[in-house]
Amino acid sequence: MRLSGKPVAAGGRVIAALRAAAAIVAIVLSLGQPRHGRAGGEIGLAEERAFQAAAAGVAAAVVRIESSGVSASAVEGPAEAAPASGPSTGLVVDPAGWVITTAFAVPDDVKQAIVVLPGATTGAASRFAARVVGRDTSRGVVLLKVDPPAALPSVGSGVPRASLSVGQWTIAVARGWDLATPNIAVGVVSAINRAWGRAVQTDAAVSPANYGGALVDIRGGVIGMLAPLPADTAGMMLGTELYDSGIGFAVPLEDIRRVLPRLQSGETLVPGVLGVSYRSRDVFTGVPTIATSRPGSPAAEVGIQPGDTLISVHGRPVTRIAEVRHALSPLYAGDELEIVVERRESAAQAPRRVTMKPRLVANLPPWRRAVIGIVPKRVAVKKEDDREGAAQPVVVDWVWPESPASTAGIVAGMTVRAITPPGEAAETVPVTSSAALAGVLGGVEAGDTVTLVVRDADGKEQTQAVTTIPMPTDIPAQTPTRPESPDAAEVVKLEAAEVATPPIAVIPAGNEDDPVGVLVYFGRPHGPVAVDEAAVWRDAANRYGVAVILPGSTDPQRWSRDDIRGVARSLDSLRGRRAIDPSRLAVAGSGAGGAFAWLAADALGPAIRGVALLDAALPRQARVEPAEPGRSRWILFDPPRTDGSLPPRVEADRERLVRAGYDVGVLPERDTETLPVETLCSFVEAIGLL
Amino acid sequence: MSGATGWPRQVGGVVVLVATLVMAEGVADTPRQTIADAARKVVKIHGAGGLRGLESYQTGILVSPQGHVLTVMSTVLDADEIDCVLDDGVRYRGTLLGADPSRQLAVIAIDAADLPFFAIADNDPVTVGTRVLALSNLFGVAVGDERVSVQHGVVTARVPLEARRGGYEVPFPGDVYIIDCTTNNPGSPGGGLIDWEGRLVGMLGKELRASASGIWLSYAIPAAELARGYRDILSGTVSAPPARDAASFDPLGLGIVLVPDLLDRTPPFIESVVSGSLAERAGLSPDDLVVAVDGRSVPSRDAVQRALGMLADGDPVRIAVVREGRVVDVELGPRPPLPAGKRSNTPGVEQDQ
Repeated sequence: MRLSGKPVAAGGRVIAALRAAAAIVAIVLSLGQPRHGRAGGEIGLAEERAFQAAAAGVAAAVVRIESSGVSASAVEGPAEAAPASGPSTGLVVDPAGWVITTAFAVPDDVKQAIVVLPGATTGAASRFAARVVGRDTSRGVVLLKVDPPAALPSVGSGVPRASLSVGQWTIAVARGWDLATPNIAVGVVSAINRAWGRAVQTDAAVSPANYGGALVDIRGGVIGMLAPLPADTAGMMLGTELYDSGIGFAVPLEDIRRVLPRLQSGETLVPGVLGVSYRSRDVFTGVPTIATSRPGSPAAEVGIQPGDTLISVHGRPVTRIAEVRHALSPLYAGDELEIVVERRESAAQAPRRVTMKPRLVANLPPWRRAVIGIVPKRVAVKKEDDREGAAQPVVVDWVWPESPASTAGIVAGMTVRAITPPGEAAETVPVTSSAALAGVLGGVEAGDTVTLVVRDADGKEQTQAVTTIPMPTDIPAQTPTRPESPDAAEVVKLEAAEVATPPIAVIPAGNEDDPVGVLVYFGRPHGPVAVDEAAVWRDAANRYGVAVILPGSTDPQRWSRDDIRGVARSLDSLRGRRAIDPSRLAVAGSGAGGAFAWLAADALGPAIRGVALLDAALPRQARVEPAEPGRSRWILFDPPRTDGSLPPRVEADRERLVRAGYDVGVLPERDTETLPVETLCSFVEAIGLL
Repeated sequence: MSGATGWPRQVGGVVVLVATLVMAEGVADTPRQTIADAARKVVKIHGAGGLRGLESYQTGILVSPQGHVLTVMSTVLDADEIDCVLDDGVRYRGTLLGADPSRQLAVIAIDAADLPFFAIADNDPVTVGTRVLALSNLFGVAVGDERVSVQHGVVTARVPLEARRGGYEVPFPGDVYIIDCTTNNPGSPGGGLIDWEGRLVGMLGKELRASASGIWLSYAIPAAELARGYRDILSGTVSAPPARDAASFDPLGLGIVLVPDLLDRTPPFIESVVSGSLAERAGLSPDDLVVAVDGRSVPSRDAVQRALGMLADGDPVRIAVVREGRVVDVELGPRPPLPAGKRSNTPGVEQDQ
């Protein structure tokens, strides 16, 4: 069977006609002509027949999928809707026995997948053992092959995405409930290019009961396969928890067909990686100006440089980081694309355009941060500056003890003006901000020598060759403190709209332009936090210039997601009172608060540069994404026990984090009875290290 | 296959429909009129509960002019006084006339006469894809003479509740309608489900979800079951609730030794076959993966035991295994009786607490 490929616009016109007819009927009704009074219901019934006809048209190509030996942990997502223990659905895409389904139904560790045909003629179900041939991990699509005795009815070419319009009817057709009669849910197209261009969104009920089924238009044309999309890198889950929320997704059949030959040849398609980071951290407002091209990455290979601004990606003009992601996310490792950048050789020259053709890869070589050993003076960055990466001179505040910078004679008060990465052809990059300096260092491997142009306090410039070292993992015994202040730190309640238990903040003395670092500390959850709990932090906060936020828990027994939202709002509210240095944000916690601190850091994003876990390990469901320039963190655990070993879970976490490229150290020895407020505040100061 | 023919038929249908609109009188009321008529037959019920997480309200439907209110059995009805508020806001004190534990239905009597009521059809002509309207006091938001809430959707499936994902408690014997609008809300149970012509399709069920998949169910008890339940309650011939425990049968009774149960969902590979057993005679062999018992999918060791337990003593045992990449069907002959006292709990449905 092939579903006809007529343009969907025809269907749209008929629907429009139906709706117009309904409108006319409504008018007629309002004129009080009872003769036509019952016709509104007729239209509804005509639509009902259309839903059923559309589902019947595709039904023969909708099959059931059963999986054996799927372990409970195989599928990511909340326990609520985890993993497919019951039947799921698939679509026949080729009469020879090629069937697509979701990674939800057939996860990596499946022992055996079975395709069940409804058996239209005999009424009896027939089972076929399926081989897993290919996977698309970007879209969560799995390709199965069975060897049926006869050709199978298959779905057609699919409705082109370009012909879809928001608001048109959609019918979800699957066999998760009943084998003999396909189950139906009805909705409309909610959006066409969701999940960074990978999915069509619908409000038809999409759940584990119909994942793998077909989303069809009112004529039975297949729009796509219903699927929970894999977790997004931005932290937004597009997965199974959304099933009762009026939001569902389908991977366009058009996109699946495009890569079908690759899947049939046994390929595993994974998202493609370019290997750049951006100066701005705001995906939605940030201009895509490169901070770092990772060594060995496709970006570095074609010569994308720090300071380049992307203006076109894969044929699409881009002005924001989000648009770059939209253009890149649908692509796979192995895909070649065209990228156009604007490059400015010097401030005086006009930018010129450079076109490059990188080929995306699956994984970048592991990355470890390299540093030179300076800690820049704090800067206050306003939100609007963050778009371009704020221009702020990098003045050395203090030099890390026994670091390359101290050996090279760099001292506090000097300004870093420019940096030249290693390599014959390397171009000198002006250091307009600490983000720009961090960007260049992100593309440098420890042991490489960079050339710095520094200006001393008298205005004399000198050039220094400095050999980078790997990021140290323990904080120095002493970090500089601020001069004694006659004023005490202020303790305030950070009220914010919709925050049930507002955090208490300890704000160091100083005027509002004097930038502070921020530490968010999660203790034992016990409901609202009292003002006197802040007392212990006041001295240290003042000495290190660190604002300490103590969140309350909405639930008196445990930390919850709501509390993270509360923290995000309280950061905004703190920003309204006092300038914050964006490179000195850390979270810490002890016990249950420690595990939660990791989740909070994950949710708050790459802005959080440090995480300290006291008497705690990572939460069991922790996600650990590989570190990369601009997305790295310094993580401290409690020091080893007296026998020199870490608790087994901590040790396992430490290894996992180090493998992912994070800087992992331990806190100095401490008295476990008292809170190490000094150490934690000095940690916030130390994370500014470059 | 003739899938391509659906569209032209639809075009024809539409043309005819539009012609109908212009030329002649339709047969269906407007949805607005249909809803107004149906809402007069829906009752807001207030009773016991009100503790944290336990609602004290639900919905019911009038099924006789003398004030019989049919609803689902729940803790809300565990009260000496059950308040029934009709569409016009008039409040009646109801008494529990009787309950059908097998279908989880109950009838409340109120002292009234000449009320509008739903005639309950004794058959269920509704097919999958039928448009439906759900009328209920979801979240208890309708107060006094406020009309109950209306949701719209289609019938997604008609399935036995126990069949869904293998491991349900069986709340009642027959099939249910799964619907695609979210009706698993506090207050919805007992609400009316009607089609676009105003016929009663079913009654919204309780807030349930499957332990295995965690999905909240939006379902309705079909009209024919309601008719039977109502009749049984009036005649006092209600049956006992179905057994909560399903039997579990160890495949060793057939001569099948499965691999040890180490994981939470151990795939049911055959480790060995007892010589001289039914399994050996049927040709089962080590490394066969059991995928179905009596046509039922068995994704894990537990599922095999449960599926075998669902057979009656002496029923033929049909098993499908995967061997060398192919599905092989085997018949083992009659299932031996369950060993005495061998019963185990199946994972059931959880009720929202």
